[in-house]
Amino acid sequence: MNTLTAKTQAVIRRRSPLPWRHWGIRTIAISYLVVMLIIPLLVILQDGLREGLGELWRQVTLPIAWHALKLTLWTSAVMMLINTIMGTLTAFILVRYDFPGKSFLNAVIDLPLAIPTLVTGVMLVILLGPQQAIGAWLKETFHFSIIFAPPGIILALLYLTFPFVVRSVQPVLLELDLAQEHAAATLGAGGWTIFRRIILPPLTLPILTGALLSFARAIGEFGSIVIVAGNIPLYSQTAAVYVFGEVESENRLGASAVSVVMVTIAFGLMMFANYLRNRSRFGFRKENE
Amino acid sequence: MSIVLKNVTKRYDQQIVVHNVSLEIADGEFFVLLGSSGSGKTTVLNMIAGLTSADRGQIQLHSRDVTNLPTQKRNVGFVFQNYALFEYMTVAENIEFGLSVRKVSRKARQLKRDEMLELVGLVGLGDRTPHQLSGGQQQRVALARALALEPDVLLLDEPLGALDAKIRGDLRRSLKAIQRQLGVAAILVTHDQEEAFDLADRIGVMSYGRLVEVGSPRDLYHHPQTEFVASFLGTANILLGQTQGNQIRIGPHKFDLSTEAARFSGDGRVQVVFRPEDLLLARGKAALDCTPLGEGVVTNLGFNGPNERIRLELPAIPGVRAIAPTVPFGKQNIVIEASRSTDHAAALPLSVGEKAWVGIQRLHTLSHPGLSFLVVTDGSLRSQSAISLGGYLARMAHARIILLGIGDDEQLQDARKQIGSGMASVELHTDGGPAHFAIARSVEKNPVDLVIVGWRPLEGLGFAEQILQSGDHHLLLAAHPGTRLENALVCASSGEPGKDDVMFAGRLLRHLGAQATLLTAIENNNDRQSRLAESFMDGGKHSLEMFGVPTQNKLRIGEPEVEIVKEMRSGKYDLMVLGTPLPNRDGRISMTGLVNSVIKNTDNCSLLLVRSHYHKNQFTLN
Repeated sequence: MNTLTAKTQAVIRRRSPLPWRHWGIRTIAISYLVVMLIIPLLVILQDGLREGLGELWRQVTLPIAWHALKLTLWTSAVMMLINTIMGTLTAFILVRYDFPGKSFLNAVIDLPLAIPTLVTGVMLVILLGPQQAIGAWLKETFHFSIIFAPPGIILALLYLTFPFVVRSVQPVLLELDLAQEHAAATLGAGGWTIFRRIILPPLTLPILTGALLSFARAIGEFGSIVIVAGNIPLYSQTAAVYVFGEVESENRLGASAVSVVMVTIAFGLMMFANYLRNRSRFGFRKENE
Repeated sequence: MSIVLKNVTKRYDQQIVVHNVSLEIADGEFFVLLGSSGSGKTTVLNMIAGLTSADRGQIQLHSRDVTNLPTQKRNVGFVFQNYALFEYMTVAENIEFGLSVRKVSRKARQLKRDEMLELVGLVGLGDRTPHQLSGGQQQRVALARALALEPDVLLLDEPLGALDAKIRGDLRRSLKAIQRQLGVAAILVTHDQEEAFDLADRIGVMSYGRLVEVGSPRDLYHHPQTEFVASFLGTANILLGQTQGNQIRIGPHKFDLSTEAARFSGDGRVQVVFRPEDLLLARGKAALDCTPLGEGVVTNLGFNGPNERIRLELPAIPGVRAIAPTVPFGKQNIVIEASRSTDHAAALPLSVGEKAWVGIQRLHTLSHPGLSFLVVTDGSLRSQSAISLGGYLARMAHARIILLGIGDDEQLQDARKQIGSGMASVELHTDGGPAHFAIARSVEKNPVDLVIVGWRPLEGLGFAEQILQSGDHHLLLAAHPGTRLENALVCASSGEPGKDDVMFAGRLLRHLGAQATLLTAIENNNDRQSRLAESFMDGGKHSLEMFGVPTQNKLRIGEPEVEIVKEMRSGKYDLMVLGTPLPNRDGRISMTGLVNSVIKNTDNCSLLLVRSHYHKNQFTLN
């Protein structure tokens, strides 16, 4: 009910009855984390910086590498924007409305996480490729190609990251108190005002977290893009595909340098998303309970 | 009038949750809707606010028809049980919300906000967020927020329900004072009787979606009209006595009749209510300075501060049946709840097992006597209809049920489970067949108003004749399982009785929110006959509407048997009400005539056979 009891409860936490607080088990868990996650990250950092920061910068700003990084970032950004809007909308529909096939749709949302990304790429090519009906029609009528061009990258990314925003918004939306919306309606607020002033504020953090996670996931995507994008340098080659190319042509330094940039961006986003999530969890909403 | 509801009805998935509720609330009135959970009271409030739509009926606020207006345009203030404050806004922003939606200038908003904070006693807390306030303070904010727009009416949905006792008391006083100060009409929904008595100008008691009674707290407590309200508000002793002229007889004792109880009952039976504090106790009969009821044994003593509560058991009084508190099936004893002040207790100390004389200082008769049903089941498929329909009727009418199982005990337990709860009481009773003998034995011990049995139209009416001959009850032949009775066809042409068909149908239908069509068929259309029929039907319509049953009249010309069947087929009737032919000289009832030929042509329609009391009753249709 009030702040004091919440804090006191947090301080006087009961001991865990399980023996897992002992040192031995902690050591095992932490070592595993270090070996599996931290060391590979450190190695790539060390490898990228082998020739110094200047050389890393030079490798990254090579025209092809620089274009690949820019392409990765802007396609991911466009994807994030669409995903934020559509993901929120989907979550809203799933929580608030009943329609036939709702539980099926709800289950299908996580499917992109399970489908091999290569398969995703193949699916898109079959659906929209220039030899196929839709793709050919678009090309002829609008001189617009999706596959083997940046729009294909965005589509592939959208497909892959579909669950992120939906799944982070959905639980919060479920917990929202309908009475607040009813109260706003009795006070004369129309649908849009209710959405903007009552529903949206508690959803801001989950939307943002979901969007950032989807962005971070998109930066490193390889499997589907390698099929969909055509990988034309300076046109449709993303950073991940560039790194793969450099590894193939035994330019380890180039590969490491771009990798370091990608890891840094992804890592930064993850940290930020994590920070936001903690704020929403231990922020003032929590004290209310 | 600030709020007017006309025949408002609401269903959720076939389940009726609000049943034909009509209500008028005056300007500045504080009205309390009282009922247990699930009685539909919150739904009524939601419909007034437009948070739920009404399926049928009309809602007016200050003479403005708002039935189809969205919530936003109704200008109602609503306070929710869980406060429903906007968590992401400060207290001040919460209060100003409605004004900012209406684009009121910042300056005017601040003025109003300060005024409201002062009104609810929260000056200086405007910058807090809701979670920094206690529950009582949050509800004050919710009240200020609802009042900031100067609403036409204030709707309060159990606003004090989530608070602890002391804060509840404080807030209750503030609420009443603020409502008085602003003069706004308010409806408060609660299940707390004390709260209702404390706050209300008038109380409406709801049960199973129906508004059972409306009145001032004093009136409802001292002069309830229905058994439900008598036993819902406080403790009530209810006995079944007889009317005799202007007096009521309880066994050998006579009391003056103050209310017009006989008007609705017709058969001279009347329910008498007296509160525990209406009783006096004394050592001897002579020491009572009021009419004695009898000498009883103290079985229970309790103490609740200012009062002592005493439960006494009196021996059976011939011709008198105890209704509340209940006694076990078949027992004729009478149990009485009495209470007296500690001063009286000190003057005449009593302990368990001692004897004392009980006298009645004040009593009151119910103008709508409670109904009692006998539901008969033999475990067969058609009994299902009797069980489901009987359970539904009893729940809606708050009747008492005797469930009579013919044959083994196991199916009776199943029937008990199916019949559910919500009726005044359910008693179980097993007997051996044949059914009509078992029924005769049961009604001899415990007479009922209505016997309900499952029935297929194909079976004919021989069974029904036997049941009707076995006692003084009406008979419902339940033809379809399920719980809907909405359209009744009352056939007033079946010969002599007429008036009784209408009266009993009215008593039953008023609980169901059903509509009635009153049908009279005359053979030839001459002036005299049709004038007679019309004046008869007007009388019938008048009495049905006195019971609150929407009624339309239909006059058909032709052979009654043919015309009734035609009408039956043309409308969606699920209940047909017919008068029982009068018994022959040998006491046998024969239904070979009109009734028989009518029912052959009806399918899937339940049949209510109403017995005539006209030869011995004295009431007239006004």
